[in-house]
Amino acid sequence: MNSKLEIVWTPHPDKFITWGSDICLYEVHPLKNNINTNIKLCNTNGANLISSNSNHPFIKCLDVHPKVDSDLLMAIGNLYGKVSLLSCGPSSGFDPQALTGKDLVPRHSRPCNAVLWNPVDNNVLAGCLDKYRSDHAVLLWDIIKFPPVNENNAAKLSMNTVQPAVELARPVAEYGISESAHSLGWFKSNSKQMVVGMNNKNIKLLDFRDPNKVVISNMTKAVYGVCVDPHNDKHLASYLENQTFIWDIRNFEKPIITLTHLKPVVKIEWCPTKYNLLGTLQKDSSCIILYDIQRTLVGNEEIEPSVLERSVLPGSPHNITSFSWHRSDESRFLTIALSGSIIDYTVFDRITLNWGATSSVVWTYGCKTMKYIQDNILNDISYKIKKRAKLEYGLKDEFWKNSDIADDDMLSNVWNWLYLSEQLVENNIFGDKDIVKNMYYKHPGVQSILKIDANTNKSELVTFNWADLGNPNCSGSVRIFKHEDRQRAMHLCSWDFESFTDEILEFVEHLEKDHAYTRAAAIAVFNLKVKLAIEILGKAPDHASDGHSLQIVAMALAGFCDDKNSTWKQFCSVLRTKLTDPYLKAMFSFLTADNYNYDNVLNENGMAVDDRVAFACLFLPDNKLHIYLKKLSDRLLEEGNLDGLLLTGTNADGIKLLQRYLDVTGDIQSTALLAVQAFSEEVSSHAAKHWVESYRNLLDTWQLWNERAKFDIMISSHRPNEKHSQQVYVSCNFCGKSISACIQGLNRPRGQFIRMGNAANNKLKVSSCPNCRKPLPRCAICLMHMGSKTESLNSDIENNKVLEFAHWFTWCQTCRHGGHASHMVHWFKEHSECPVTSCTCRCISIDSITSTMFTS
Amino acid sequence: MFEAQEINAEHKDLIHDVAYDFYGQRMATCSSDQYVKVWDQNAEGKWILTSSWKAHSGSVWKVTWAHPEFGQVLATCSFDRTAAVWEEVVGETPGPSERGIRHWVRKTNLVDSRTSVTDVKFGPKSQGLQLATCSAEGIVRIYEAPDVMNLTQWTLQHEVPCKLPCSCISWNPSLSKNHPQMLAVGSDDANPINGGKVFIYEYSENSRRWIKLETLNSVLDPVHDIAFAPNLGRSFHILAVATKDVRIFNITPDNSDPSGVTKLDVQTVAQFDDHGCTVWRVCWNVIGTVLASSGDDGTVRMFKMNYVNSWKSVAIMKGDGSLAPNDGSKNLSNALTSISQTARYIKLGSIITPKEREASWH
Repeated sequence: MNSKLEIVWTPHPDKFITWGSDICLYEVHPLKNNINTNIKLCNTNGANLISSNSNHPFIKCLDVHPKVDSDLLMAIGNLYGKVSLLSCGPSSGFDPQALTGKDLVPRHSRPCNAVLWNPVDNNVLAGCLDKYRSDHAVLLWDIIKFPPVNENNAAKLSMNTVQPAVELARPVAEYGISESAHSLGWFKSNSKQMVVGMNNKNIKLLDFRDPNKVVISNMTKAVYGVCVDPHNDKHLASYLENQTFIWDIRNFEKPIITLTHLKPVVKIEWCPTKYNLLGTLQKDSSCIILYDIQRTLVGNEEIEPSVLERSVLPGSPHNITSFSWHRSDESRFLTIALSGSIIDYTVFDRITLNWGATSSVVWTYGCKTMKYIQDNILNDISYKIKKRAKLEYGLKDEFWKNSDIADDDMLSNVWNWLYLSEQLVENNIFGDKDIVKNMYYKHPGVQSILKIDANTNKSELVTFNWADLGNPNCSGSVRIFKHEDRQRAMHLCSWDFESFTDEILEFVEHLEKDHAYTRAAAIAVFNLKVKLAIEILGKAPDHASDGHSLQIVAMALAGFCDDKNSTWKQFCSVLRTKLTDPYLKAMFSFLTADNYNYDNVLNENGMAVDDRVAFACLFLPDNKLHIYLKKLSDRLLEEGNLDGLLLTGTNADGIKLLQRYLDVTGDIQSTALLAVQAFSEEVSSHAAKHWVESYRNLLDTWQLWNERAKFDIMISSHRPNEKHSQQVYVSCNFCGKSISACIQGLNRPRGQFIRMGNAANNKLKVSSCPNCRKPLPRCAICLMHMGSKTESLNSDIENNKVLEFAHWFTWCQTCRHGGHASHMVHWFKEHSECPVTSCTCRCISIDSITSTMFTS
Repeated sequence: MFEAQEINAEHKDLIHDVAYDFYGQRMATCSSDQYVKVWDQNAEGKWILTSSWKAHSGSVWKVTWAHPEFGQVLATCSFDRTAAVWEEVVGETPGPSERGIRHWVRKTNLVDSRTSVTDVKFGPKSQGLQLATCSAEGIVRIYEAPDVMNLTQWTLQHEVPCKLPCSCISWNPSLSKNHPQMLAVGSDDANPINGGKVFIYEYSENSRRWIKLETLNSVLDPVHDIAFAPNLGRSFHILAVATKDVRIFNITPDNSDPSGVTKLDVQTVAQFDDHGCTVWRVCWNVIGTVLASSGDDGTVRMFKMNYVNSWKSVAIMKGDGSLAPNDGSKNLSNALTSISQTARYIKLGSIITPKEREASWH
């Protein structure tokens, strides 16, 4: 039996045939719930067996008639040379020419190696046969018109060794007596010519109008799988063992390309939907290798082509025995494995893509289409940056306004803190503000404020007894440390009240207003006001904090007892770990702490950084406080957490923190803005210049030019030393002296235009040169001198309002003619040439960007 | 919410490259059909084909825009062994709109390569008008237009031999004066024995030549595309490499060496084999926080940085524009919360103070 298993697409776009010992016709269906499909081809398609035929066990080769019809006509060549015509369609009834079942038999029996329908002249069928001593190897039949039986040769022809009883269907042409033919291909452009791989030693190009003459032939052993490029009749491919050759028939001696493979080739086929794409299958492999053959002309000469190789894994579970390209669907093919599993696979075209500044991603989909989407689905930081930039984020001098725009907790905190510390400096909290600014940079951080050390500048230790503070159950005490630096640091942490006094009440009230009950309670407890905390928690509405009923917490708190062995303490120590609210956790950690060890409070990461720092300032001895702050600021730096600015302040460490924040988030905007707004010029290193430059470039890319200009203005307000030079100088035509200097007193020129005749403020008008008193140039339209005020000539100018800009004097950069801006705009609405007599300059279309702006 | 728009490109063969201009409002495509097409976005956001011309006599591999301060300038490179610079000019005869028809004129043809020119890229604008090309013969060429007003004059400044066939090139886009010019070059050489396939070069002001600083020896498979992320002030450069998978490298320059030679600390921070096969292209969003890649599996995938050195897949699009199911969106929300975790509690105290004072001012 025949163990080979082949697959081929039929001309019908949804049908394919597999053949081995049986011939099976399948139809492809999309996989849907309501249609039952026998076999699954891929994720989207399945196939149903329509018919099968097992009457042709010795099948050697098969080709489907290229005409799409309701019936599919196949030619089957078998091991004994017989070529049978077989119809395998759904309607097997009507067959006007009675072709189905017809056999085309050679005179002598030997394997038929290939059959192929002519792609142009569809009635012509060619067959290739092995060698037989006195018979031809290539036979050509016309299935409609069999030539009339020649009287003289009739007897000779009717004899055949295969099926003597059957009358021979006479071939219209024959070629190659006592030769063998292995494979063949037809040309699309010339239906009379074919190429045949013959005798294991050459590929011959035959013309059947004169079968005795070979048009061209070459010497090669690669005579298998000969096929003609469907898009270029000059190119053919053939293979031998583990090499594939591409031939150009104009230069047939040598292959133009030799492709070497690791394993013997089983099948090659040109892709019918792509140019110059050859698919190859190797023995014992589960991948199809595609070769994209690139050719080009340099001058008029075709240079050596090059090949892009690409291997495609259709996902076949076993080694593929055959594949077939779909005839019309782009890059689609079927593969079949020996196990019979069939895969329907579409090779994806290589997608190229790009990402535009307008946040749109474009990619190619096939040759014909491109797809693009907006990247806002990603919710990326770039999106926020753009949104904030449009709201003039970071440009406000009152820092807290920026925090409202930021719409991000961490950034809001930073701007608010900058505002707070600025206020504290202004209010001389840290001493005289001028001295402070010199000492501590613009915004001092906690670490630089705390000048205490264990030897010379000690903090004062104060011990409170819990019992004295109104906690009758308690016997122990609590130690706190006092120093004016500590108090200042706590101000920076927004604890702007004198510790342990009733000033805290106001602070706590604000927190309650913002529903931060647990935070208020915790801060009250840290200030040793347990009763106050109980009151706060008692006032909280049910479920104010997720999951906890705060009243119940208040109840627990009411039983506060610091006796080591008390049940309260033991229970609270265990149960506090079950709390989720970080402030409640910290509160109980504090109350249950032993030996003044407050690590659980200090390392409670859910607590805001400033609360932790303020807590440390109250309860940690000097040396431990420094260690703790160092550790904390190192960690925040590592995380790129801008809360760390509280500790570092706006010094060089602050710049490091900003750099880290930028590295982590990519938020160039806040980084650049903070560097400019909060850091003095000496501190912000060249890194900051790079940030500013990058941010400006980003704004330009987004065409947020106005925002960029405002950013520039903001920068210059912080950097008064950087002056921008004037862009344009105007000098008198006659004496050559500058008239800009005179005008400058009135108006400062900016941009491309010199503003003249300011309508609002025209006390001093210059219409002649201040030096030589000669008149200034005239407007080409109204013929008034530059600097003289004009009424609008054209009352139809939109909104009929004389804009200041209309009186600006402007001119073409090329021909240097010009006049009042409004007149020029009006003129160029209808003209492309300069308004000055005999000047043919097409001022308005010279710059392609201008024309883009005008047309859009 | 999610909808892919479609543009009818109508190239006759595979499109090899698509490039946005600086503002993202113009687009250029190039194809194996040897044509280059330019598209402009109209007021409604639709892309309109404004120019199409046969640019080369072979497949056009890449197309790229110059910074707009140099005018409307494109560069292309092709299998026909040349690279070309094109400028859009206003035609002599006034068009129907009386503004003159704009069309693209070949300003120069760079013919130094003896093999296919595989990539072309304009240098950062701070260095004037520079153009880098690389070719299959393994030579990177740096051209410069000494007079930016005259694009017909280009001088070949440097030829840098790479030894392996080059497939792609990327300039480091950093605007910082502290970063010398840097180029990354990828090779599609298939033989792992030839070593790393990505090379990093830096221009040395002292010796006035390009010096190879680093070979990324971890990339042994053919490289098809390479892209530096926009630097935007980071202390390190991010390089994406399209090979059999998507790789992301952090490259930290260290200029402290007294000899003036930069040392690079190269870290592989991400490696995604999500495509499951050859990755064809990589590109960055405008601030370098999201990477998009395309692969032979016919999908476009996006990767986003959650935290420094931690990247996650966030979106998968099929080639036809439909969104493939991805757990990425889940990852995304995780990512967002993890960033702001330390600031979960608003520092209410600091908010109160200013608000209150604001009220008292009025």
